[in-house]
Amino acid sequence: MGWTFSHPLYSLTTEDQNKEAQYVWEHENLGGIAENNNPLPRPVIGLLLLTYITAMAITFPLYGQRPTAAIFADYVTLMNSAEVQKVLHDKKLSHEAADEKAMALIEKTLQHFDSPYNFQRQQHHITMNQLRMIAPKIVELQRSGADLEEYTIVGPTVAKANFFNIQPDGTVIAKQPWWDKGYTIAVWWFLVFCAAVIITVKRLPHFTWQPDHSIAH
Amino acid sequence: MLKYLFANEEDIPQGSTALFFAFSSIAWFIIGTGLGSFNAAKLAFPDFYHNVYWLQFGHMRQVHVHAVIFGWIAMAFAASMMYITPTLGNTKLWSEKLGVWNCLLYNVGLCLALALLWSGMTSGREYSDHIWPIDLYIAFVMVVPWALNVWMTVLNRRTQGIYTTNWFFAACMFMTIIVFLIGNLPEFFHLTGLNEAYMTWWFAHNILGLLITPVAAAITYYIIPKITGNPLYSHRVGHLHFWSIVVFYSTPAAHHLMSSPLPEWLKSFASVEGVLILVPAIAYVSNILLTMQGKWSMFIENIEVKFTITGVFLAIPLNMQGGFQQTRAINWYIHGTGWIVAHAHLALLGFSTFAEAAAVYYGIQVLLRRKLYSSSLANFHFWMLLIGFSLYWVSMTIAGLIQGAAKIYEVPYIDVVIAEHPYMIVRWLGGTMVFLGNIVWMFNMYMTATAGDHVPEGRQPAEVAYTR
Amino acid sequence: MAFREYKIGCMMFGVALSTSMFVTIFLPGLDISAIGSTEEALKKQLTYGWESGFNYYDPFLAGKDKPIKVTLTHDPVTGKKIDKVDAYVFKPGTHFPNGLTHENIMGKKVLALSNSRGHINQASEENGGVFLVDVDAASGTPYVEFATATKGWSVDATLKAADQQFLAGSGKTMFIREGCWWCHTLLPEETQDWQTFGRPPVTGDFNGESPTTFGSDRKAPDLLHVGSRNSSREWMTMHFFNPRLVQPHSIMPRYNYLWGKTDAKGNVIDRQKWDREFMAYNNGETAYPPEVPEPAPDSDARKLIDFVLNLK
Repeated sequence: MGWTFSHPLYSLTTEDQNKEAQYVWEHENLGGIAENNNPLPRPVIGLLLLTYITAMAITFPLYGQRPTAAIFADYVTLMNSAEVQKVLHDKKLSHEAADEKAMALIEKTLQHFDSPYNFQRQQHHITMNQLRMIAPKIVELQRSGADLEEYTIVGPTVAKANFFNIQPDGTVIAKQPWWDKGYTIAVWWFLVFCAAVIITVKRLPHFTWQPDHSIAH
Repeated sequence: MLKYLFANEEDIPQGSTALFFAFSSIAWFIIGTGLGSFNAAKLAFPDFYHNVYWLQFGHMRQVHVHAVIFGWIAMAFAASMMYITPTLGNTKLWSEKLGVWNCLLYNVGLCLALALLWSGMTSGREYSDHIWPIDLYIAFVMVVPWALNVWMTVLNRRTQGIYTTNWFFAACMFMTIIVFLIGNLPEFFHLTGLNEAYMTWWFAHNILGLLITPVAAAITYYIIPKITGNPLYSHRVGHLHFWSIVVFYSTPAAHHLMSSPLPEWLKSFASVEGVLILVPAIAYVSNILLTMQGKWSMFIENIEVKFTITGVFLAIPLNMQGGFQQTRAINWYIHGTGWIVAHAHLALLGFSTFAEAAAVYYGIQVLLRRKLYSSSLANFHFWMLLIGFSLYWVSMTIAGLIQGAAKIYEVPYIDVVIAEHPYMIVRWLGGTMVFLGNIVWMFNMYMTATAGDHVPEGRQPAEVAYTR
Repeated sequence: MAFREYKIGCMMFGVALSTSMFVTIFLPGLDISAIGSTEEALKKQLTYGWESGFNYYDPFLAGKDKPIKVTLTHDPVTGKKIDKVDAYVFKPGTHFPNGLTHENIMGKKVLALSNSRGHINQASEENGGVFLVDVDAASGTPYVEFATATKGWSVDATLKAADQQFLAGSGKTMFIREGCWWCHTLLPEETQDWQTFGRPPVTGDFNGESPTTFGSDRKAPDLLHVGSRNSSREWMTMHFFNPRLVQPHSIMPRYNYLWGKTDAKGNVIDRQKWDREFMAYNNGETAYPPEVPEPAPDSDARKLIDFVLNLK
């Protein structure tokens, strides 16, 4: 093998070729990264830009796929109102019918008020039975002044879920802003990639498809 | 093969290693797809062969996965590397003897590994199912000698510069060893909890992303210019592909666990990087398709180009799915469903299998200097693979969408099972077609080796006409 | 040896790969390791023991080297009635889970409390012992109590006083060996799943568990809380023997081979005969399906059923 560590490697590229590569590298202004500093084909550049923009747009960290306690707070208030309670205690109706009628009444009332939770409410339908189970917990949280958006409805329980790095003992290490740590790293990651790949690809040594028989092995 | 184990290096014909790997890979492809077809039959008809302990689904599922990944895909890679690397370096393989031993110990190790998995001895981690002694065997006996041969051949090349394909080969072998050793840390050092779960998927993601996808792409970088005679559209775009694989494909491991309680920032990061996987994908696909300029007739006429370009076309939906299905917006719907199974088969049975099959077809002809025995059988194989795969992919995608809908509308699970039943049958039919096609392929390659027309010195197999 | 010309490339490659591993392995590792155990995690560790996949002490995944979970309603020492409690019995020589032997698994608070109040530092694998999981009422912090030290509960006395014994630890080994997790996930998703399959786990729920077997390809219901949905041992027994007995459309394989050669009464199980009778029932020739044999107390089937019923 003849691998000596003081001079581990030698180059097949001649000094002239290196100089030529260096000349090309140094004497271009904003050239592309294809051969001889030609830019990439425009459609390819377009696709790559589109990819980057899409990546950033589609992964924008919006949480909210799970129902938070906040979207049901108004349901609870309405459930405890006199009108709804009257329907619920209507002896003439069967239990199920009363529930349905009461829920219809709540939803009809809610339509009159504009709310940031309208969309989420459509996503997360709730029945009267479920509402009954979570209502006392939501009321309790409201009394204690908690931010209902931090709480997630998980079956019958109203729990702090892990969307905001909440620790088992309840402390919130970081309530994530609209940009989060991972998203920020991703932005830097891409910028450093662009810089590094331009340097690396442009500094590639001379390349030719022609075989070199000057050195016998 | 055995007679070369103790022969002098000079007495071993060049290309022996590549040939042994190539035929082994076809054999493992038959075994792997046969197991897959059997498993699929069990999902469609659960009482199929039910009283045989050894044929239980839970014991066989992972054997199918590992027979296909380590048997077919990895060995076809080894076969390709063992002849493409020296060719591109205008030199000989560094050591045919090491290669022959490597191939033998690879087959022996794989038999042992699969037998242990089959018997239920598993680490319980998906894709790193092998027990840790086998992991060490795979890393140091199966992969390191293979990598050594590739690296030393690249170092001893007699060309200026390193062509993209060899750049990929050398780096991917390095990354595979790193991924194998780091990804199995939970087993070596008994890591537990979420760390273990995350490392399992770090391994699974990177073994696919840093070995299978890039090496399959690297093979097409060789096959298309070589057979069409067009120079690669751009060597440097190939490097853009390479660097974006290293930078963007090695990072999104957490997107496999989007619904687990991993730190949210990690999922955000993984998600962005996951979409940016489209950067290497676009660089790659456009580079290959632009190379085809003026030679599109070969897509119809030439079996290797037909296989390769089909693989490249399949890489387009593959990367579109892969980029977007892992974002929060889509992942919640399809996570854990048959959609993912379809996607995995699109990557392995679609894109990379088609690319490798071309390399194996071409390699065997070039190394033996014999023309392919029958173009009809090769076309039959192609269509069995393509139609079988398409049936599989479409049926599993539909099944996955049903499952996803059932998940969000809270349909009782048994109704999903009932609704999926027809698609399970189609999946089985598709898998069986692939299996049968491969048996025909093995016959065709055996006949090529024994009865194919001789290709004259200095001629390409593509330049010689078929006689049957 | 012509790599010098690729010096920049090689350096960049090293930088890229190591930065990638720094961001995707080291940084998340710090975050994950900083999370303290939940009560759930402590229970899981004590139920499943050291390692459920392949390991040196149980290379053939036979379910060896595992603790036994018991329920107690009487104090094993005094015999007095107590509130129902789950205890985890480690026979002498059974290996402890990582949480008990490594300082960085449980989390600082949990470990401090387990040492000061639970006296787990007095436990040793050679002597074994009995463990409980408690929650500190004031702070809500869960901790492990070494009942052999704090209450004098010995292994033998606890097993004797137990109302029920669950071989759930060995059962998890079966769950892994038989590949149940290829179809049944153990991870209700954070999005919609919880309404059907129960509460998704939180970050601290896994400390010390290995492997976690989340599963990825769900062809069957999630099982993380299956014991809460269906706690019938009879149903589980029939379902494992032949799923089509209780769910005609199921595509689950039969696990009748886990019964071994004989049933609980020592009778030889004739699966061929059972099959014929089942087919007759299936074809409407008989009104009732054949009886499912009761699994022997040390059979693999019993272990697996215990595991599944224990998934609350």
